[in-house]
Amino acid sequence: MSAREGRTVAELLDDSDGLAREALLDMSAARALGMVRGWPQLMHSAADLCAVLPVDPTDSAGADPIALLAAMGRAIGRSLAAGHWPGRGPRDEAWEQIASNLVQARRLLQQKPVASEPVSTDGQIDPTAPNSQILHVLYVAAHAATVALTEYQRDLQHRLEIGTRRRQPLVERPTVLEVESAGGMIARFDAIEQLAAGALAARRLNPADDPGIGRARPAMRLEAALAAWEIQAHRTLANQPDPADLVRVARVQALIATTTVVVSEAAARRGEIDTGVIDRLTPALENAQLAWSRSARRWAELTTPASRTDPALVEAAGQLRAAIRAAVATQTSWATPDEIAGRIDLPATVMTLHRSLVDGVELAYVVRDIAADHPGLAAPARVIAMRTQGEAEVAIEQGETRFEGVRWVTPRQIADNQVIPLPEPARRGLVNAATDVAAATNQAVAAAAHLAPTKQSPRVGADGTRRVGRAATDREIPVHQPNRGGRPR
Amino acid sequence: MDKHAMDVDTVETLAGVVRLLRQAAVLAWAGADRAGAGSAGQLFALGVDLAADQARHLVPDGTNVDGPVPVGDEPAGLLRSAELLLRRLAPIAAREAVDDLRAIVADLVWEANTGVGA
Repeated sequence: MSAREGRTVAELLDDSDGLAREALLDMSAARALGMVRGWPQLMHSAADLCAVLPVDPTDSAGADPIALLAAMGRAIGRSLAAGHWPGRGPRDEAWEQIASNLVQARRLLQQKPVASEPVSTDGQIDPTAPNSQILHVLYVAAHAATVALTEYQRDLQHRLEIGTRRRQPLVERPTVLEVESAGGMIARFDAIEQLAAGALAARRLNPADDPGIGRARPAMRLEAALAAWEIQAHRTLANQPDPADLVRVARVQALIATTTVVVSEAAARRGEIDTGVIDRLTPALENAQLAWSRSARRWAELTTPASRTDPALVEAAGQLRAAIRAAVATQTSWATPDEIAGRIDLPATVMTLHRSLVDGVELAYVVRDIAADHPGLAAPARVIAMRTQGEAEVAIEQGETRFEGVRWVTPRQIADNQVIPLPEPARRGLVNAATDVAAATNQAVAAAAHLAPTKQSPRVGADGTRRVGRAATDREIPVHQPNRGGRPR
Repeated sequence: MDKHAMDVDTVETLAGVVRLLRQAAVLAWAGADRAGAGSAGQLFALGVDLAADQARHLVPDGTNVDGPVPVGDEPAGLLRSAELLLRRLAPIAAREAVDDLRAIVADLVWEANTGVGA
C-alpha cells in the first residue's frame, strides 16, 4: 500500500486513526506479531512528525509524552533486533500504512508552514491539534496491539496445555518461554497504551491558558523531573550502559515507587482518592520498591572502582530527588498528609506518579534485555564465581543440564580478581531479578488502575492472576470518527 | 573541565573523596534497606550516591580510584571526612565543580546529622 497523493495532513491523520480503529475492531490474534514488529517504525514516524509540529503548551517543561513513547518504541526495536520474541518477520500492513501516512504528513508540513496547512477536516487551524491526534492514533493502535497480543497469548497457552496433555513432541507445541514472552510484550504495550491515554487525558484536563500557580508549581516540578528522568533513563540504557547506570536506575525507580505510596496515602487520608484503592495499592507498590532494590543490589555487585555513572543520568536523578524532597519530605522523614496537601495538588500528582509507574514496567523490560544481551557486561571474577555457582545450581535443579560440570572462572582469574565477561548463569540471575521487577511493577500498575484518568479496570484478579482478554468495550476510547468533519477531538 | 591540569596530590585526594562517598553510600543504602519498604532513608542514600558519582567524574580517566575501604560504620563520619578533604583541595581547574560538590556534601552532612540519615 502507498499513501495516496494529494491528501492533506488532516486527511492523513484521519486515515491513520481509522486504520488503528479498524485494527482494534479486527481483534485478530493473527496480526499480533506483525503489530509488535511494526511498532518501532510506526512510533519513529510519529515522533518525527511531532518534531516538526509546534510544542503543545499543555506539556510542562521536559514532560513531552511523545519523547517518552519514542524511547519506548526504540527499546522494543532493540529488543527485536537482538532476536527477542517475536523476532524478525513480516510487519503489520496497517501499521506500515500508518507509518507511511505520518511520514507523508511530515513532508507536507516541512514543505509549508503549519499555519498554511489545513490540519483539520473542516479547515479550522489549531497548530497543536495534530499532537493530540497523533497521541490518539498511538493510543488506539497500542490498545489494538494489546488486545491482539492477549488473544495470541491465550491461544499459545491453550495449544501448550493441549500439547502437554497429548504428549506432543516439543517442536510441535509452544513453549512456556513463548507464553511468558507474549505476556511480557503485553505488559510493554499496556504501558505504552496507558501513557498515551494519560497524556491525552492530561491535555483535556489542562487547558493551555491555565499556567501552574501555587500548589501546582511543586507538582509541575515533580512532573517535569519525572519526565526528564524517564527519558534520560531510556537514553542511558540504550547506549552501552555501565552496571553503575543500572544501579542508579533501579534505586531511583524504587524511590519513585515509595514516593507513590507516600503521595497516594496522603491523598487517601485527605479523602481525595478511595481508601479501598490504597489497601490494594500500598502492598503492591512496596513489593515493586523491594524488587527494584533487590535488582539494584545485584547490579551493584558488577560495579568496579573504575565504574562511572552517565553524567546526564546523575543530573536527571539529582533533579528528581530535589523535586521529591520539595514535594513530600521534611528534614527528618516523609511529610504529613496535610503538609503534602499544602505543597502539591494531590490528585494531579497521584496521576503523574501513576504514569511514571507505567513507564517503570517498560524500564524493567529494558533492564531485562540488557541483562540478557549486553555484550559488555563484565564483573570482578570473585563476585562472578560466587554468583555463577549459585545460579548454575538453581538452574541444574530446574533441569538445565548444560551447566553441569562447567568451570566458569579459572583459579587465576579469582586470584587476580580480574574483570571478566559475565557467564550465562550469572546473566540468568539478573534476568530473573528484572523479570521479578516487571511482574511486581505490573501488579502495582494494575492495583493503581482506578487512580488513572482512564478509569480502567484492574488487570490482576484477587488471586493475583492477570486478567486477560478484555473486550474492546471495557476501555474508554475517546471518540474520534475519521473524516466526519469538525475539529479532531 | 580540564582534568589534565590536576597534580598528583589533587587526583589522589579526589580519589579518596570518591572512596569515602561510595562507602558512605553503601552504609546509607544498608540502613535504608534494613528499614524496609517505604524508608525515607532512600532519599538520603540516593543523595550520597549521586555525590559519589559527581566526585568520580572529577577524577581523570585512567586514574586508579581503588584503595582501602574507608573505616567507619556511620555515613555521617565518612561524609564529614569527604567534606574536609574537599576543603583542603588546592585551587584546581575544575574549581566550580569542586565547589558544587563541597556544597552538596555539606548538605548531606547536615542531613546525616539531623535528618533521615541520622
